[in-house]
Amino acid sequence: MPSIEIEGRNFEIDGDGFLLTPDIWNDEVARLFAGYDGITELNEKHWAIVRIIRKSWEETGMAPMIRVICQQTGLKLREIYELFPLGPARGACRVAGLPKPDGCV
Amino acid sequence: MQGNTPKIKPGIFNNHPDSRMITNMNSCVHCGLCAESCFFYLATKDERFMPGRKADLVTSVYRRYCTWQGKVFPKLVNARELNGEFASEMTDLLFGACTMCGRCSMHCSTGVDVPYLVRLGRTMLSEMGFVPATLQSTVNAALESGNNMSIPLTEFLDTIKWMEEELMDETGDPLSRIPVNEKRKEILYTLNPREPKFYPLSISAMAKIFYFAGESWTLSSEMYDVTNYAYFSGNNKEAAIIAERLRKEMKHLDCNTLVLAECGHGTRAFRWEAPNYLKQQFPFKVISSVECIADYIRKGRINLDPDKIKVPVTIHDPCNLVRNGGVINEQRYILKQFVKQFIEMEPHGIDNFCCGGGGGQLAMSEFNERRMKAAVIKAEQIRQTGAKIVVTPCHNCIDQLTQVNIYYKLGIKLMTMAEIVAEAIIPHKTNF
Repeated sequence: MPSIEIEGRNFEIDGDGFLLTPDIWNDEVARLFAGYDGITELNEKHWAIVRIIRKSWEETGMAPMIRVICQQTGLKLREIYELFPLGPARGACRVAGLPKPDGCV
Repeated sequence: MQGNTPKIKPGIFNNHPDSRMITNMNSCVHCGLCAESCFFYLATKDERFMPGRKADLVTSVYRRYCTWQGKVFPKLVNARELNGEFASEMTDLLFGACTMCGRCSMHCSTGVDVPYLVRLGRTMLSEMGFVPATLQSTVNAALESGNNMSIPLTEFLDTIKWMEEELMDETGDPLSRIPVNEKRKEILYTLNPREPKFYPLSISAMAKIFYFAGESWTLSSEMYDVTNYAYFSGNNKEAAIIAERLRKEMKHLDCNTLVLAECGHGTRAFRWEAPNYLKQQFPFKVISSVECIADYIRKGRINLDPDKIKVPVTIHDPCNLVRNGGVINEQRYILKQFVKQFIEMEPHGIDNFCCGGGGGQLAMSEFNERRMKAAVIKAEQIRQTGAKIVVTPCHNCIDQLTQVNIYYKLGIKLMTMAEIVAEAIIPHKTNF
């Protein structure tokens, strides 16, 4: 089972670096995962995106459509891609502690 | 069990003798030329990754079950029984260290179709339930929900409406539309589900091109998914179910031409493989969106502004569209119309290196680390061009290269063909 150590904490992950036990996720985990991707500080916009993704996953078991993220945060599409350079899936969903979405992402 | 014929043989050997299979199984002369053509081998120098070695895994099973020497003296002729242990080894190498990109076949001294053999191996493994879980989950999502990201219908339609508004902003025409489920149009256009889910601007980009070309077109909400991950898993029954849905929808909407979205394997799976899965020729035309866009330029239906893109641009050739799909010059023809600094990668075209995310690799978390390491070949190819924009007409390549861009700190921007063309299109009044 692969794992990564970030700032002294050990996380079990899948081969793509997504959290294997999404239940242990909290703000601290989000900060650590974001830092690992090179996002040194999560600003308000990052948090707004992460919270919507997390909420959608807890309620429906799926990552939300990017339309819902834009609609609920008021952010432009291009801003989201800039905030998470690895994209909504490998970037934002990973920081939000979701399993990797299926498909070409 | 050595020396005794195993009772259960893989299903692919149960059919009548298949001359294509037998020829490919028996043609390798072990010259080793294929090694240097494979990016997995070049990046790691791991001999297990030599294409000939991977092909031999599959032919060793063939020898064990289908040749008398393999049945009687398996060790002498390196014939191996397909048990659980060997299946695990095959899974690691045929799923986890090959993208079926076909570059090795181009360099093979006897022309062995290595990816064909690798896919046969994957078919054997799929019969045994050895498809990596993450890949199978993408196939299952498509089978169960109609698209490989399980996007609910209402969410899809809401996104299309949203992109219709984006299109109106782009064209300045409040009557611009993205038609859905309209019958008897010239074109039925498909999508990769990652477009509506996460990257919808490529949808409005293509819609903008259709708008200025004055095209009669539609999307389908019933079956819009261009992908067919069962092509990668090796399960032909599942591949046929997915392909049949698109054929059926094309018939239902009664359009003349099916335009496949920018997706290498999706284009191959429907255009070149589906007639085999479904045992029929299609009564409609099937083309890729790259050919569609090139045709608009050639006929003067769209015009592009040569001052719009000022930075150096290169193109990444998706293996299944180019080397294995025959679309080689159209993407170059398009870019050379308006890109001032167009630089080719070396090698390029049919000899191009895979991005490293093909063959279902991108969907398989199991092999992420190896996939990123092997991508060093592609990363250096891109770096050498000095390009700031890499255009690639394949959403899967885009996602792999997005990751490669960050992992290897390339500082490039990735764009689909529709996106770069839409950016340079010169607006003009249309009658549509």
